[in-house]
Amino acid sequence: MKADSNKFPELNKTKFENRGKEFKFGIPVTNAITIGNSIAVGFGDGTVRIFRSGQISEPIKAHSGVVLSISKDGEDILTGGDDGRFLKISLDGEIKEIANFGSRWVDHVTAYKGSLVCTCGNIVYLWMPNKKEPKLLEHESTIGGVAFDSKGRRLAVSRYGGVTLWKKDYSNKWSSSNLIWKGSHNKVIFSTDDRFLVTSMQENQLHFWRLKDKTDSFMSGYGAKVKSFAFVYDSKFLVTSGSNEAICWPFDGNGPEGRKPICLPYVGNKPVTFVEPFPNENAIFTGLSDGSVFLSEIEKSTNTIIIRSFTESEVTTIAVTEDCSSILIGDIGGNILWTSIWDEEEK
Amino acid sequence: MGETNKQVPVTVLTGFLGAGKTTLLNRILTEQHGKKYAVIVNEFGEQGIDNDLVVDADEEVFEMNNGCICCTVRGDLIRILSGLMKRADKLDAIIVETTGLADPAPVAQTFFVDQDVADRTKLDAIVTVADAVHLSTQLSDHHEAEEQVAFADVVLLNKIDLVDESRLDAVKDRIKKINPFAKIIHTTKCGVSLSEILNLDAFNLKRILDTEPDFLTSDHDHEHDDDVTSLSFVSDTPLDMEKFQDWFSKLLQTKGQDILRTKGILDFKGENDRYVFQGVHMLMDASPMGKWPEGKERNSRLVFIGRNLESMNLKEGFENCKSA
Repeated sequence: MKADSNKFPELNKTKFENRGKEFKFGIPVTNAITIGNSIAVGFGDGTVRIFRSGQISEPIKAHSGVVLSISKDGEDILTGGDDGRFLKISLDGEIKEIANFGSRWVDHVTAYKGSLVCTCGNIVYLWMPNKKEPKLLEHESTIGGVAFDSKGRRLAVSRYGGVTLWKKDYSNKWSSSNLIWKGSHNKVIFSTDDRFLVTSMQENQLHFWRLKDKTDSFMSGYGAKVKSFAFVYDSKFLVTSGSNEAICWPFDGNGPEGRKPICLPYVGNKPVTFVEPFPNENAIFTGLSDGSVFLSEIEKSTNTIIIRSFTESEVTTIAVTEDCSSILIGDIGGNILWTSIWDEEEK
Repeated sequence: MGETNKQVPVTVLTGFLGAGKTTLLNRILTEQHGKKYAVIVNEFGEQGIDNDLVVDADEEVFEMNNGCICCTVRGDLIRILSGLMKRADKLDAIIVETTGLADPAPVAQTFFVDQDVADRTKLDAIVTVADAVHLSTQLSDHHEAEEQVAFADVVLLNKIDLVDESRLDAVKDRIKKINPFAKIIHTTKCGVSLSEILNLDAFNLKRILDTEPDFLTSDHDHEHDDDVTSLSFVSDTPLDMEKFQDWFSKLLQTKGQDILRTKGILDFKGENDRYVFQGVHMLMDASPMGKWPEGKERNSRLVFIGRNLESMNLKEGFENCKSA
């Protein structure tokens, strides 16, 4: 190996790329969801493709515009599109239309054990298992994000001015309370232990509430909007995009207030655009605006390996199969890499 | 990234209900030749829009916590524009229709404030459709009508067949008084060449130089305090950069709510470049734009469009910026 390529490993293909499969679709990759060892990928032309063991399904013509949101219900894929349709798609590619809102977009979809949720404008549509008609939960402004807690008893809906927290009682009645913070809230997630609720905001910051006492605070200092964030390793850390480093806030104990985040730098110093936890490990995959993807251990920042070298297209999705054997990386330029995470001898 | 990095131009169509926005929109859409447009409409649209990519929006105005007291943005636009940018087919333009009573400032400010929107799209121009018959009354009765004229890059003065010449002149004078920049186009049934309303690049600083707007010092009668008017100033004496920045930033901070739009070309002492700026309320876009052209006189020109301009001592403030 030449000295130059040691110095700039990103100029060469990585071993992950060499042993993986690359696909060039030329269509923006918008999102992906893991279902067992399959990964369903949504595209900017409304198609969904299913990847399994490096093999790819025929494109499923789901939406006529963009696949805006993707989730799953058991073994089925759920998608929302800018054609106003909310769809359930089987892994065999069979499409079932759950609802059609015409020229209004289906911005967000999620589910919990047969309860299906989509949002359209300021309304959450909630189909309880085996119910034909949805329940409508109305909000004052357009919904920025929606998330169930781990038991499916609470549904957080982010919007302008805060979060509406819907709670289901044992007779399946929903009542709401408000978590208020000025400004527009986008994506919302619960911590994996359900103790915290985190939103990203229109401003370059995140907001969080500790649910037991509803105390709240914010995490700021970002150079850009935080579009990708997730809890890792039993909610020990919240990992976030929005900076040229992956910013990892400690969420053990009472949360991040008064504590400093761990910042993981990467070769090239480009903005981080996507973060994905490594399941059950204190580690993350980080995708950058130049298309490169790294795997790092959070508390040992020197332990970083490069998974994909740059493609010059911003990473828009990373997904890991349930058995943690393979990873899928997608970018805005329509490139996808499917590769095994482990070397043969490591398996 | 190639194509994905290209900024898609966004044209904003404003105008009171009944002025002819939908007529214009349908004209644009039917006259397109192989162009792909997305149209963002509001729920109070007058009639059907004939296009395969129509997006329904609720005009949602958000306050920003960015220390800028009057800074509001259109949340629905941020969401829809970033969604449209994920499409596989590239759009030639996006047209945003606003409701008759909309204030154009949050729309314009969205392109200054949201980085994603600014990276992938650009505000091309604000086109205001005005009804030649009713505009005068609307201007007197509604703040929003004044704002729509004040923010316009183009005013499409429609239904001119329904007014006589003297009335038309009166309406034109009224528009000019509010907004000396706006190009006024006379139409009946919004019959206008698309090249006059699309791809104008009106918010590009370069265009401010190209169009050489009418910066004549305005002498005008005292208006009602809350009328929107414009004031312009010219100085042949170069300005002191530090003094100007000090005055101007304080002015926008304290009076930004009343100052709707500003534009200017400035000649600073000791600087070889022309400085060009434009602003919407408290937000500014400014940049040196190359050397002064040979043989052309160097001077500083700036214009304000807003309310209560008389009370801001603008003339005195500007005079004080002249270099000694």
